[in-house]
Amino acid sequence: MGNKDKTMKLLIEALLDGDQEKAIAVTKKLCNDGVTSERIVTEGIEPAMMQLNTKCTTEEYNLLEIMLAGRAVMGVVKELYPLGNIPPQNKGTVIIASMEGDVHDLGKNIVKMVLTGAGYHIVDCGKNCPLKNVIDNAEKENARAICISGLVTTVIPQVKRVKGELEKRGLGHIKVLAGGAALKQLSSESLNTDFVGDTAFDGIQYLDKLEKKGGGDE
Amino acid sequence: MNSLERIKTAVGFGVPDRVPVIAQVFGHSAVLAGVELGRYLRDGELLARCQMKALEQYGYDAVFALMDVNVETEAVGSTLTYRADEYPFVKTYALSQETQSEELSVPDPYKAGRMPELLKAARILREEVGNDVLVVGCVLGPMTVTTQLLGMETALYMAMDDPERFASLLDFSTEVIIKFGLAQIEAGVHLPVVFDPSGSPAVIPKQFFREFELPQLKNVFEFFKKAGSAANWLHIAGPADPVLPFYPQAGVDIANFDYCVDPFDAQKALPKTCLDGNIAPVSFVEATPDVIAADAERLLDQFSDRGGYIMSSGCEIPPEAKPENIIAMVSAVR
Repeated sequence: MGNKDKTMKLLIEALLDGDQEKAIAVTKKLCNDGVTSERIVTEGIEPAMMQLNTKCTTEEYNLLEIMLAGRAVMGVVKELYPLGNIPPQNKGTVIIASMEGDVHDLGKNIVKMVLTGAGYHIVDCGKNCPLKNVIDNAEKENARAICISGLVTTVIPQVKRVKGELEKRGLGHIKVLAGGAALKQLSSESLNTDFVGDTAFDGIQYLDKLEKKGGGDE
Repeated sequence: MNSLERIKTAVGFGVPDRVPVIAQVFGHSAVLAGVELGRYLRDGELLARCQMKALEQYGYDAVFALMDVNVETEAVGSTLTYRADEYPFVKTYALSQETQSEELSVPDPYKAGRMPELLKAARILREEVGNDVLVVGCVLGPMTVTTQLLGMETALYMAMDDPERFASLLDFSTEVIIKFGLAQIEAGVHLPVVFDPSGSPAVIPKQFFREFELPQLKNVFEFFKKAGSAANWLHIAGPADPVLPFYPQAGVDIANFDYCVDPFDAQKALPKTCLDGNIAPVSFVEATPDVIAADAERLLDQFSDRGGYIMSSGCEIPPEAKPENIIAMVSAVR
């Protein structure tokens, strides 16, 4: 293993530990050694996200560790792209929102962080977002998928309507994913979505499978 | 055997005349009475009247002097946005990373925010039901008060970046809780449930719970017991399995377990602690009475040999729940 590979491994470890300070220091070293930003994303951040995904599926999952890792990832991204240039996001566009009446956005923000780290371009419609805004953005951004986070049960009727509204506009190819404390109690059939995820990482797995199949058609 | 006796018997692993049932009906009682949730949450008398109406309709074993997860934080100084048909949310948090400890002042439950209204509800409910039905008050757990004072993200990052400061805020939250809980007991609740969603292993690792939260909960429950609380009830939603074994150290007598916790795992983790749960809250909105009845039957069967059980939902029954589904759960124990 070369020195650069060893340093990349250190970056992955720092991201998994949620150690933002160390992750940024290691990133600076990689940049000084001539490693491109793109390589740091594809060989550092993305493998770290995948390992975190495995950890979350096999071990106890908790918000604190995910938030720390997410903060470290965002710190590295900011270090690599200080002018706000977006990192390589070649896996397609995903719309994310908490629906009207739901003012909780922590879960949504976590999903946003992990999807960004995994190479997706995220359009965040925010919290308390009317259904029409979600559909408008999906159309405008030529989205591959819509992710809806729901902590309260009152948004269920809106979630059930998303696919129908997409179909009305000829956007039936856009996948609808749901998650969050309230929505994950239901099946994708009863919510009328394509997928219901238990953790932030379940969504990545589902979207990555679509990505591999190409174009989002199952 | 009346409701209170029935619950006390179940807590002591005795044999009640039937399994007690506590429907976690909070805001739903407002919907049932045709009252705006936003009004219900700010008017203790109205809250008590709606709770009594729901008790009359459903005939379960407990009523709640409980508003929402923002009572403590509002009393400390957070501002809230109230809505007609939804629970309020925090608009500006009382504390920030810059807040100094000397700026903190434990609110007076008889004056601050909606605390006096909650105490009013407790007094009315106790006057109405006496010692026939369990009157439950509510405080948040130390971790949840702290996350509600700072915001979840700020609180969790502070816990990692400045653990000493975070620990001192947890101490402050515990003082708030104890003072508020003791006032509730004085006002007439038989026990204040400690509702601690931010203490869930979905939010923090179990080691964090053990080091930070457990000593605080122990402190809270010791005070409540000394003040005459009928039982110490801890309510941590979500996948609580990893922290259940700590409950006896905290002095917990009743442990809520959510829909995602296997009843047998909960029994194994807490062989001598009364358990309440765990029908999925969303099923009271989405499912049919047949489904609820089948869930309830399964639970009765799973606890038939052990006892120490209170039929309940895993967490709050959502305000928009179908009444026939609540009736199905209550009927199952009769």
